[in-house]
Formats: sequence, C-alpha cells, structure tokens
Amino acid sequence: MPETVTPEIVLAQLEEMLVEVIGDDLLLDGPLTMETSFDQDLQLESIEFVALSEKLLETYGEQVDFVGWLAEMQLDDIIALTVGQLVGFVAANAAASGA
Amino acid sequence: MPIEQANGLALHTQHLSTAAEGERRPQVVMLHGLVIDNLSSWYYTIANPVAQVADVHLVDLRGHGRSEMPATGYTVEDNVDDVVALLDRWGITGPVHLFGNSFGGVVALALAHRHPERVASLFLIEAHFAVEGWGEHMAGSLALAAFGLDEDSVQDWLAVNADRKLSRLAKRSERFLTETSLIDDLQAEAPIGWLPEIACPTFAMYGADTDIMDRALELEAKVPGCELEIVPDCSHSLLTEQGGLVRERALAWLDRVG
Repeated sequence: MPETVTPEIVLAQLEEMLVEVIGDDLLLDGPLTMETSFDQDLQLESIEFVALSEKLLETYGEQVDFVGWLAEMQLDDIIALTVGQLVGFVAANAAASGA
Repeated sequence: MPIEQANGLALHTQHLSTAAEGERRPQVVMLHGLVIDNLSSWYYTIANPVAQVADVHLVDLRGHGRSEMPATGYTVEDNVDDVVALLDRWGITGPVHLFGNSFGGVVALALAHRHPERVASLFLIEAHFAVEGWGEHMAGSLALAAFGLDEDSVQDWLAVNADRKLSRLAKRSERFLTETSLIDDLQAEAPIGWLPEIACPTFAMYGADTDIMDRALELEAKVPGCELEIVPDCSHSLLTEQGGLVRERALAWLDRVG
C-alpha cells in the first residue's frame, strides 16, 4: 500500500484489477477514466463485479467495505455506477483509515 | 477468486462473515436460480446483511457464474451432491440454513429431504419444483418458461442488454442451453412426492404475480408447518424486485430459527 492513496493511484490500480477480471478487451475502447460506467461502457457482468470486489478487498483490506457500500444502494444506482464514484469511495476510505 | 474442487468439479464460491475469532454463528448457504442467474443475485441483495448475524456461503451451481460447466449432470440430485460435497469440504457437519431462489429452492428442498440431518431450516424464494405434467411443460420452448426464460423474458432481457454486443453472459447462457444436457436433465425430473416428509422449519415467499403460484400453494399444503407469504405486485423476480423486504424476512427468520 502506498502511504497516500490518491484518486490517480486508485484509478491505475482499478484498471489493473479490471484487466485481470475481464481481460485485455477492457482497453479496446481506450483507457479507463473517471467517467467510464461499469455497465454501459465496460459491460461488466454482475458476477464479474463480485470478482472485482474480491480484488478490492485483497488490495485495500476491510476498511474499504465495497460490498457494504453496494448493499446500501438500489439496483439502479449500482447499474449506473461510474469508475469515478468507486475511485472516490476507495480513496476516501483508504485515506480515512490511514492506509 | 475462491474456486473449490468438489464432486469432481471446480466450483466458484464466496464466503461472507463478520464473526469474531472462534465465535459460533448460524451457517447459511444460498443457492441461486437457473442459467442467467448466479451467486451475484444474493451477493448484491441480502448476503451482506445476513452475514452480520451468520456465516454466509454462496455457491455458483455447476454450469453457472464462474463455476465449471460440465457437459452433463444437471439433475436436481447432481446439484444436491455438489452442495453436500462443498459442505464436507468446508467441514460443516452440523445443520445449515438453506436459502434457495427459484431452481435453488428445489435443490434446497431435495437436500433437506435426502440429508435431513444437515438442514436446520429452509428459506425459499419463488421455489420451483417438478409437479405433474412437468415433463411436457419442459418440452420445447416451454422448457425455459418455467424459469422465466421463455421467449418473451429472454427478449426483454436482451432488450435491456442489447448494446452488449459481445455479452459474455449471453454467450455463456447459449452454450449452457445448447451444448449441455441441462434441458434434457430438467425434463426428466419426476414430480416431487415427498414434500410431506420435509421435517425442518420452512418459510416460502412468492410474488403475487408469479407464474408458479401453484408451487406456492402446494408447498403450503404439503410441507408440514410451512409458512407462506405472498408479496403483492411482485413477479418471479421477487429477490431483485423486493430485496429490502426479503432481507427483513431473512433476518427475522434467522432470529427465530437460528
């Protein structure tokens, strides 16, 4: 873990995780940005989202409670989720815990 | 990704728990529906809230999600064998609370019938099981109607996912339906005659607009002490349509029987 978890670092790490989950196809339409949506742009299947949350847990530990965060959302919110929202959530929680 | 070898297959599982070291809590196993379903429908609805009070084990049944897709072996009994092999692997010998959605419901019922000592209770959502005429019903295009996979439903689903030109789930589902024995195996299922022998506490929820209300009424009539709740304005997709309500009922159920 880097001492400071900036959104830029999280974005780069998230891209690596997504390539591991989906494969190189991820990057066919260009690099991952904060505006990229998981559903519309990445066409991430729900079971791939499960794999992603597992990787988030491995990378950032339990202080970044991704599953708990999702559990508070409605299905429509999850479907509309963007990379930027997730990066913001990770950066805020990883930073808050001093990770 | 937890891929575990059980019953000769590589099965994808997820385990959620907030238990303290050495704390003993109820064990809950959640089983999903057919073909386009997988453990994620539990993962994003009630698995996490239930994991606050119990150890939750999620399984991608054979052929589904990230589990292996063998060419054959898709009877209810095959699925029961897979789940029992996983329980053995996890060292869970005491009775578990089985949660089943749609097809997962019939797997849960069959497991409770064959291995009553391993099941503490059943929490069933839109449980689906073979009744008289099942074989004919499963024939042809009707085969999929039983699980909300008839032409209309599939078209609806594709409409929502139309821009997914390379949808991995669509491809996988097509392979599942055309290259495995799934449909033949389901068609060959005999009607269940043993519902009166279910000995554990059972709670069943169905949507008022479900296409399988006959199953709901049969469960209530035949499973001893079965509690049935019909949820207004809901279809077979009760779990995703009313995740909050199902969560409430699940927690209340574990509070009573856990």
